[in-house]
Amino acid sequence: MDNALLLKFLLFLPLVAAIVIAVNPSKDDKDARGLAIFVSSVMVLLSLVIGAGLEGHYGGMQFSTVQHWIASPFPINFHIGVDGLSMSLVVLTTVITLMAVLASYSIKTRVKLYYANVMLLTFSLLGVFVSQDLLQFFVMYEFELIPMYFLIAIWGGPRRGYAAMKFLLYTFFGGVLMLAALLYTYTQLYAMDPAAATFNMTQLSASSHALPVHAQVIACLGFFLAFIIKLPSVPFHTWLPDAHVEAPTPISMILAGLLLKMGSYGLVRICMGFFPAFFAEYGPWVLALGAINILWGAVACLVQKDMKRIIAFSSVSHMGFILLGIGSLSNAAVNGAIFQMLSHGFISALLFFMVGCVYERCHTRLLPEIGGGLAFQMPILFYFWMFACMANLGLPALSGFVGEVTIFYGAYTSPFATSSLHGAWTQGWIVAACVSVILTAGYMLWLLKRLFYGPEQPKWKGHLYDATMTEKFVATTLCALTLLFGVAPHLLTNMYSKVGDRITSEVLNRIQISQTDTTTKPNL
Amino acid sequence: MNFDPEFLRACVESAWMIVAMPFLVGFGIILSYLFGGLKLGEKRSFKTAAMMASIIAVAWGFFHSCFIFEALRSNPSYSFQENFDFFTCQNFKLSVGFLVDNLATMMLIVVTTISLFVQVYTHGYMREDPGYARFYAYLSLFTGSMLGLVVSTNMFQMYAFWELVGVCSYFLIGFWWYKDSAAAACMKAFVVNRVGDFLFLVGVIMLLLATKDFWGGGTVMAFAAQHGSAGVDLAGALHRALEAGTLKPELALAASSMPLMAILIFGGPIAKSAQFPLHVWLPDAMEGPTPISALIHAATMVAAGIYLVARAYPIFLAPNGGTDSIALAFVAVIGTITAVMAATIAMSQNDIKRVLAWSTCSQLGYMMAGLGVGAFSAGLFHLFTHAFFKAMLFLGSGAVIIGCHHEQDIRKMGGLRKIMPFTAITFLIGTLSISGFPFLSGWFSKDEIVAAAMHYNPVIGWILIATAGLTAFYMFRLYFTVFEGQYRGDHKAHEVTPVMWLPLVCLAVPSIFAGGLLGFTKEAFLEGGKAANAWSKFVYFNHPHIEGVDWTVLGVSTVVALGGIAFAYLMYVVKSITWNKSIVESNNIIYRFSLNKWYFDDLYGAMVNKGILPLFNNTWKFMDTVIIDNIVNGASLVTSASGEVLKYTQTGRGQYYALVIFMWVALLTWIIYIASPFA
Repeated sequence: MDNALLLKFLLFLPLVAAIVIAVNPSKDDKDARGLAIFVSSVMVLLSLVIGAGLEGHYGGMQFSTVQHWIASPFPINFHIGVDGLSMSLVVLTTVITLMAVLASYSIKTRVKLYYANVMLLTFSLLGVFVSQDLLQFFVMYEFELIPMYFLIAIWGGPRRGYAAMKFLLYTFFGGVLMLAALLYTYTQLYAMDPAAATFNMTQLSASSHALPVHAQVIACLGFFLAFIIKLPSVPFHTWLPDAHVEAPTPISMILAGLLLKMGSYGLVRICMGFFPAFFAEYGPWVLALGAINILWGAVACLVQKDMKRIIAFSSVSHMGFILLGIGSLSNAAVNGAIFQMLSHGFISALLFFMVGCVYERCHTRLLPEIGGGLAFQMPILFYFWMFACMANLGLPALSGFVGEVTIFYGAYTSPFATSSLHGAWTQGWIVAACVSVILTAGYMLWLLKRLFYGPEQPKWKGHLYDATMTEKFVATTLCALTLLFGVAPHLLTNMYSKVGDRITSEVLNRIQISQTDTTTKPNL
Repeated sequence: MNFDPEFLRACVESAWMIVAMPFLVGFGIILSYLFGGLKLGEKRSFKTAAMMASIIAVAWGFFHSCFIFEALRSNPSYSFQENFDFFTCQNFKLSVGFLVDNLATMMLIVVTTISLFVQVYTHGYMREDPGYARFYAYLSLFTGSMLGLVVSTNMFQMYAFWELVGVCSYFLIGFWWYKDSAAAACMKAFVVNRVGDFLFLVGVIMLLLATKDFWGGGTVMAFAAQHGSAGVDLAGALHRALEAGTLKPELALAASSMPLMAILIFGGPIAKSAQFPLHVWLPDAMEGPTPISALIHAATMVAAGIYLVARAYPIFLAPNGGTDSIALAFVAVIGTITAVMAATIAMSQNDIKRVLAWSTCSQLGYMMAGLGVGAFSAGLFHLFTHAFFKAMLFLGSGAVIIGCHHEQDIRKMGGLRKIMPFTAITFLIGTLSISGFPFLSGWFSKDEIVAAAMHYNPVIGWILIATAGLTAFYMFRLYFTVFEGQYRGDHKAHEVTPVMWLPLVCLAVPSIFAGGLLGFTKEAFLEGGKAANAWSKFVYFNHPHIEGVDWTVLGVSTVVALGGIAFAYLMYVVKSITWNKSIVESNNIIYRFSLNKWYFDDLYGAMVNKGILPLFNNTWKFMDTVIIDNIVNGASLVTSASGEVLKYTQTGRGQYYALVIFMWVALLTWIIYIASPFA
């Protein structure tokens, strides 16, 4: 079958499903859920089929569809396609969506609207990952706000209004910056050569390299800020804990597992891919920001009393690895950073699901109120929790380790670390980031201890129950994937590494150019 | 016996099976637990199946290792490794694989032997425990991880399995998770080990940075060069890096400093092998079931640190390949401090397992000191003999604990020799061996270290001799208090079942004879010549170590050890010396210092609880909730406040809007008039 057609089908399936679920006449909530599960399963299969069709052609853009829409004054097109990097994120999206839909058993109110919103969210996520037109990318990126806002604001916890608004404002602020940067890029290209001006991302990834350094830096800064707000990075991270704490469990899974990846995907695809001069100039600063994130997230985790907040801050910490990896510009570390985004997708979804399972039973997220000893009532969940915690603290043989270790190894051997100009700075931040191996172990195990270890609490006696079949299925699937990619990381790296390699070598060439070019001095 | 060389070769080349089988068994048990439901774990048949599978996997490993040993012994220059790509991208590759050489084979035999006996013993010890099958699963996972560590081909793989044994240790220390003390202990063990791993990680990335261009296309950070390929071994890559100047021989706070790199990598062994100052987790790890204490916290995992130093020995050496380097001096000093510190603490402890834990700590200090002073073979020889007698002592203590109905306080024991004869005799053998009683295993291995240390530096040598005296004293204090005198417990004690004492008897054999068989040479001991003993002909660095016997050091150290035994005898059996009582009663500073473990736990506890956590708490609250969120909320406040003000301009009256429009037009006209060049 034609893979381009399948890709289009995959993209629009959730949109259609959203409408169908919303308007289906059945009064039974189970129908909406069943339909959502069915559609999500089909999407997983479709994405796997398309992924299989990509085999051997991971480096270039495949299965493209271009539909011209408006030609003047700007060319606005519908343009989708996948390469290895996009494809791996598409697979991540469909798998995590299915898991989140399965985990939505606790949603009891306005079920049809809920699943319709989840499907809309999936549509926009898929749209972000397959868009090959920058304007379309922007629209998809912003469109995600709408379903997410409602998902938090309607099905959220007690402070859902505040959290949803905070999320909306933060991200919208980033969106405005991105729009500005996008238009700036276009006009700069137009000023340079009207024929070069385009929103086609494949063309942009070549033509925008020709922009002068200052233009690249300004343009990239807009995108960069937009993406690190989404990532999120210190100091724009405070929306994340609030949004997570208030969001219902499956939405947290999508939020951590997929939404944050839009930021990191953008960083790699757009910031690195389009504007190598920015990284050649400010790479060490990006790396330092990553290290600060890693440490700050970990420090914040150690002082939280709310288990969901701990996991939320640990996301901040783990997304810092991505910044550290891409800032270092090392081939290994950039590939490690991409691995980290995929692996974090699975691990964070698993962790938020685990948090949800405990919350579902204890109706509190506060660790002092839970008081420990839960292993008496939920031995199976205890296993899954242990697994999830170990995955999060970077245990070898689980996927978190691969990302972390390749980022550390790669970053420390990067061109910046060996340059006389930035060597001490770069090495210093990386060593500081390595402290996170202690802090991460500290907060994850402390969390585990405060939840499950210790004597049985009388208040929980007889009130709690162990994992249900659905829970076992979701947790096992995510655990199995984490283990699989931890033992055989090449299953993932094969898919995206050609793209990662290409983007890195383009930036590295740029560094060599700027080193030979005496007019541009690095600003550090 | 002669074996077909082809068969032996096949054994070596399939060495990965030794690692894989325990892993498969461990995962199998856990998966059937998860999906067969918890009820399954209580079924007799499932328990038996789990036990049999675990024991068969490790027994296979034991025999397989023996064949590998035979293959390497009969063909001295033979070694084998195979690597598989783990993570690849354009110009970076990490590999995992398995390496079979003399050093690895020695460890394979230690790990599989101890694990086999411990697993048999476990059947008796954990028989009543509801987590019986789960325990076997963890044991298998640990065994697999430890064997994976042993056969690691490169530093990356070593680091990975290093963490895996750590996590198995975490699971097993916290096996009885409902006990608060166990919950705290397992977390402490993991986090303290992570402190070491942090240093290890930094050391490894420094190594990678310095040598990244010098691996000749082979496995990065490989311990040994692959036959018939372009690969380079660790020593070769370091040599090239030193020549190219990416690595500097002097100690400095720079990524290119080789001694700094070695010391950072040594951070891992400091934590894992419970060396000063990261030893604090090991005594607490005794919260785990006793078979674990024997397997992990005495014989195998804690020896991984020694093994790493031995594997990465080229990093620790001086640039000319000599053993008089800064890094090795550091190793020797840390080892010596640990040996003497742990021995002083062990003297005042009253928990049978904790005394043994401190003694493990002290003996690991000996091994480190051995490697540090350049006695490569001797340090590993002590690892080998110690593994047997310490595992036996721990299993013996487990038998005592079971026999006394889960009593661990030695003040409530006594006179058990008559009640538990098998346990008592094996415990006595272990105690004699560890004390360095002549001709037992410990005597040979420990005195090789002491002699080398004496040549290296007399201060270290004398400290180690004195520690040998302390060791003999506290071990016999333990033995006499537990097995001699009158029984002081509340419940009637009994001997354990044969499934528990048989492993003890089996382990007693190497505890007695291993030292003599491998460490004795006629030329050196009887004829005053110099010769390499059987051990150092098999396990050596670069070339077998040829050494004569220094009868002076040997004699002094033996006399000191016998003195320690005699002192303990007079104090705890004859009771003619009563200093012990007066010391305890006076409760003076020295006694309290020893009893409170040199106050390390209090120091670290205060650091974390009073220093780090409050600091984190305050910084975080200040930054995130005060500064950032106030800016964010402030921005929204300004927006809504200005909206509040401006909303009064929206009156809805036409004439008002017309007035505003008129005023703006007037204003703009006036501005243009002012600014216009025609004015």
